[in-house]
Amino acid sequence: MAKWGMVIDLEKCTGCQACSTACQMENNRLPGENYQDVLYYTEGKQPTPQLKWFPRPCMQCEEPSCMHVCPTRATYKTEDGVVLIDWNKCIGCKYCMIACPYGVRFYTDEKPLVEPNVKAVFNGDRKLSWNPPYKGPQQDAAKGIGIQPDGVVSKCTFCYHKISKAPKGTPDLDPANPELVEYVPACVRTCAPGARYFGDLDNPNSQVNRLISDKQGTRLLDHTGNKPQVYYLTGAGAAGSAVPGTRAAKA
Amino acid sequence: MTIQAQANGPVTPVMMAGLAGLVVSLAIAFSNLMADGHAAFNTGSDGVIWGLPVVNYVFFALASTGLTLVASVAMTFGSQAWYPLAKRCVWLSLVTLVAGFASLALELGHPFRMLWAIPLNFQPTSPLNWMGLFYAVFLVLGILKFVRIHVGDWNSPASKQIGLAALVTELLAGGMLGMAFGAMAMRPMWYGTLVPLYFVLTAACTGGAFALLVTYLAYGKDAAMPDKVRSLIRGPLPMAFAALLGLTILVIGYRTLIGLWSNADGLQVWDHIVASPWFWLEAALLVGAFYLLLEKKALAAAALMVIAAFFIDRYFFVVGGQLAPLFKGAWVPELIPYSPSMTEWMLTLLAFSIVFFGWALGEKMLKLEAAPQGD
Ligand code: SF4
Ligand code: SF4
Repeated sequence: MAKWGMVIDLEKCTGCQACSTACQMENNRLPGENYQDVLYYTEGKQPTPQLKWFPRPCMQCEEPSCMHVCPTRATYKTEDGVVLIDWNKCIGCKYCMIACPYGVRFYTDEKPLVEPNVKAVFNGDRKLSWNPPYKGPQQDAAKGIGIQPDGVVSKCTFCYHKISKAPKGTPDLDPANPELVEYVPACVRTCAPGARYFGDLDNPNSQVNRLISDKQGTRLLDHTGNKPQVYYLTGAGAAGSAVPGTRAAKA
Repeated sequence: MTIQAQANGPVTPVMMAGLAGLVVSLAIAFSNLMADGHAAFNTGSDGVIWGLPVVNYVFFALASTGLTLVASVAMTFGSQAWYPLAKRCVWLSLVTLVAGFASLALELGHPFRMLWAIPLNFQPTSPLNWMGLFYAVFLVLGILKFVRIHVGDWNSPASKQIGLAALVTELLAGGMLGMAFGAMAMRPMWYGTLVPLYFVLTAACTGGAFALLVTYLAYGKDAAMPDKVRSLIRGPLPMAFAALLGLTILVIGYRTLIGLWSNADGLQVWDHIVASPWFWLEAALLVGAFYLLLEKKALAAAALMVIAAFFIDRYFFVVGGQLAPLFKGAWVPELIPYSPSMTEWMLTLLAFSIVFFGWALGEKMLKLEAAPQGD
């Protein structure tokens, strides 16, 4: 069984947000509630200010604290290494949002993160969070795929509706390969500079493992012990994409 | 069974106030929740995740643990002098737990789904589950114990065993609630092996405060109290309470200092906490109550002060652990702004109303002043 993982090359990432937009379209996300987001942050003062950015999906942790705290096992890990939420079991306690060190989970039933409130325009009648005019081809509540129902939590699925259909034993889902492109997560497929790689972390010959090995892939907040399955390459050539420091200077 | 002097304090006014609070809070909370769902709360995916409704829950669930501890002084540990408070405390431990659950239920996305989803898919690694299980078991044991003592069976072996089991489940529940926060290594404001102890210690303080307060509400003033109640209230109770509170003040003080001292990300929230006037109000209330207890003066006021102080403390604890954003970005604030919405405050009013209405109802109908005969 594969253990899907992602590598994001910060030397290539331009912070263009195409991944976030693709994710939003693919997964019918509400504005501001992108499963995949690029964080921007500034450090330093004139004349040496720095603008940095950081692309951040769910890390699909090997030891997902979100799963360990979930009282109903609504959050679970698939055999192929992806953390999913069963919306039929989620009670909306939000403990997973508390326990996720990466802040990548969303509860529906709240004020919109971005105004104007499109939930009011495309009303989901309290059953779904909203009812957009276009919809993804799939709705699979047991895997947390599709439009989020009311009162539950959602998160990035690594586009499970795509990757789970990939031929077994595929080491890498390379968007450049016409045979495989339909199975590639939307953010990986759309990334213009090709900063994202997606493949099997259990296969020592996969390109993702080669990159992690050759370029010293690092994991975000590794001290939490969550062991992300998303790795970052932070080579010296990175323009401005960088792993954010934690405690910023006091204001 | 001796029936001591009938209650003659302001039970009816408290009951009416509780009833009014219930009606108002339920009306406002329900109409807002029906109209807006949890958008009626000021919590959010990019903000504070567990807001005031969870503060209410933690406050009242721990008060329940504390009240059971107070009741156990007589019923489990055999200190006869504490019997006059025991039945009241058992009743109130049930009522406070119901109040906490009520606030939590209105906070959950799917409270009814919880009833089947947790038993059918029990996740043993979730502290939330064990806490819920222990509190649920306590609810049953607490009711059984109350029924026993209500019919005058204080000391039969079965009654004692139920009492002991109730005490143990309450301690496990309060401790597990502490673990639900204390296990969160990714949030250093909460993280720590001693959080369960902190929760049980502070639970005992709020339990003592509620016990003292309702005793005064039941009798009005010292002179109206039966002798045994008065000698407890003017003797061992304030002394034990003062000792407990003194210890707790020390713990809170050191918690604060450690928070201010450390550079760990997330602990910068302590700068914000000590800059808040509410923190200093909490400190003044705790120290003031400590003094009053030592001096055995104005004990009802001391009880109120402790209740208010710990409500502030629970707020800082629950909300404070979430104020430092996990990732800072250009438009992410240094600390997340949060103030509870009207609907959230209504859940606080609801919980307090349940407690005071429930207590007064018990006082009127269930002979809460009863204590075992003899001794
Ligand atoms: S990043 Fe957060 S939501 Fe994703 S698997 Fe890890 S702990 Fe869970
Ligand atoms: S909100 Fe849902 S997915 Fe998250 S811990 Fe609670 S039940 Fe599990």
